[in-house]
Amino acid sequence: MERRAVIAQPMTEVSADDTLVGAARAGDRFAFGLLYDRYARMVHGILLCRVPPREVDDLVQEVFLLALRKLDSLRDLSRFAAWLGTITRNRANDYYRNASRVEQPIEPAEEEKAQSRLTDHVVEQEAAMTLAVLRTLPETYREPLMFRLVEGMTGPEIAARLGLTHGSVRVNLHRGMLMLREKLAKRAVPKVDDNANKAKMSGQNE
Amino acid sequence: MKDDYLWDGSGEPDPEVQKLENLLGRYRQDQPAPAFEQALDQLAQKQNARRPWSFLVSRLSFQVAAIAAVALMGVASFVVIRMKQVNNSGPVWEIARIEGAPRVGWHSLSANSKTAQLKVGQTLVTDNSSRASITLDETGQIEVDPGSRLRVVASGPNRKRLSLERGTIHATIWAPPGEFVVDTPSAVAVDLGCVYTLHVDDSGAGLLRTTMGWVGFKLNGHESFIPAGAVCATRPKIGPGTPYFEDASASFRDALTKFDFAKLTPQERNALLGMLLAEARPQDALTLWHLVSRVSDAERPGVYDRLAVLAPPPKEVTREGIVRLDQEMMDSWWNALGYGDVYLWHMYERTWPEK
Repeated sequence: MERRAVIAQPMTEVSADDTLVGAARAGDRFAFGLLYDRYARMVHGILLCRVPPREVDDLVQEVFLLALRKLDSLRDLSRFAAWLGTITRNRANDYYRNASRVEQPIEPAEEEKAQSRLTDHVVEQEAAMTLAVLRTLPETYREPLMFRLVEGMTGPEIAARLGLTHGSVRVNLHRGMLMLREKLAKRAVPKVDDNANKAKMSGQNE
Repeated sequence: MKDDYLWDGSGEPDPEVQKLENLLGRYRQDQPAPAFEQALDQLAQKQNARRPWSFLVSRLSFQVAAIAAVALMGVASFVVIRMKQVNNSGPVWEIARIEGAPRVGWHSLSANSKTAQLKVGQTLVTDNSSRASITLDETGQIEVDPGSRLRVVASGPNRKRLSLERGTIHATIWAPPGEFVVDTPSAVAVDLGCVYTLHVDDSGAGLLRTTMGWVGFKLNGHESFIPAGAVCATRPKIGPGTPYFEDASASFRDALTKFDFAKLTPQERNALLGMLLAEARPQDALTLWHLVSRVSDAERPGVYDRLAVLAPPPKEVTREGIVRLDQEMMDSWWNALGYGDVYLWHMYERTWPEK
């Protein structure tokens, strides 16, 4: 990859977003690579909340390519994270809106269930079902928990990426975890058999 | 403190969080940065490849351009008509026999026949000893219990509609929300991304139980949203009742059934509503949110007050707005309950007529 240094100061992991974005906008692919390293997990996590897992890797690349092409339209360089997050969520929505896809879209929370049927591996199945349950949480809790449990980000990192306060991320992680525990405990809701249904119906018909 | 581990991985490890990290870590992002330069070059090449055409077109005379446009319209019309013809054939549900001998018309699926197809207009019938499943790759899978009649009403590319005339189905739907509906004699169930069981008895009364995601149930202007763990009954000519969580107390459920479907005197109704409000737990906010739009103007402030205690409304929602059933405020409060975005319902529900 050609990496043109267009600013005097060397690009490092600790460079501020606006410095990296400014450099990337001026054609510095190395700076954009650093932005990728910094934000790929966030983009991946947002997509994993919304689209089938097998589609996520390709969509991550698409999102960054789109971001690179549209970087000039970003007015406030310090808002890169929020801007990239919006691009990512829109891309996920487009995935479902785009009726011309050769492959039909699959409802997010059910994809893992469908995949889990295809594998005999117990741990794989459990992971798929756990991810499916995680994806049924309200968005407020789903994204932070996805970042923490799947992408391995810490609370402070999540707060920085999402532009939230530490307090609100901490509360959302805590509440989301409670909800996830509750849902995981309830996930094996037994099917209603016909007799039970009929008994219920006759009870309600009184 | 265990929360410290959840927060930043410090402190005493929480075994449950660790287990989830290990389990879900397999989905973690591990792709290195792509060769952006190459990808951009490829993109530029694609764009350049289009340029000769645009250059050529710009130099064509008006007459030639007009002829080309007419020809293009002709080709486009042909393609559209052709596509419609193909779409009309519709995807076909694959039937798999689970036990017994389910029937489609005169054709019976015996133990030897592995699969069959269920097309638009056809009805799958299971007697008391037979069960089957039907699958549509792009939509989902439905298990049909004994004693059921299930008809395919429509099967377009983005519109799958079944009619459960009686019996029980267990639906696992992976189509996008709003693409799949099931008619029953007393309500229409609109899938909003979920797993659910739907039962219809011989009188046409129904019961819907959601296991995952949520389902919308509607008839005659009555709408019910049923999230995972909740149940909703429906009656012919009345439509869906008020959904409730299955772990609600028996007295709460009984009172709700009577409130929804029984003929009551004003005193009885008042007593039942009072009991529902008094017995409601925080999770019964689901039920109370639905009751807000089902009670009279005089009853509504009382329901608001109780619901506001159980599930405080978002800042933009006011008592006065809810009492006059402001749709935006109702929607906002529903979304705050966290069961699903009502935007999905408004987006899809109107595209499905009740009959």
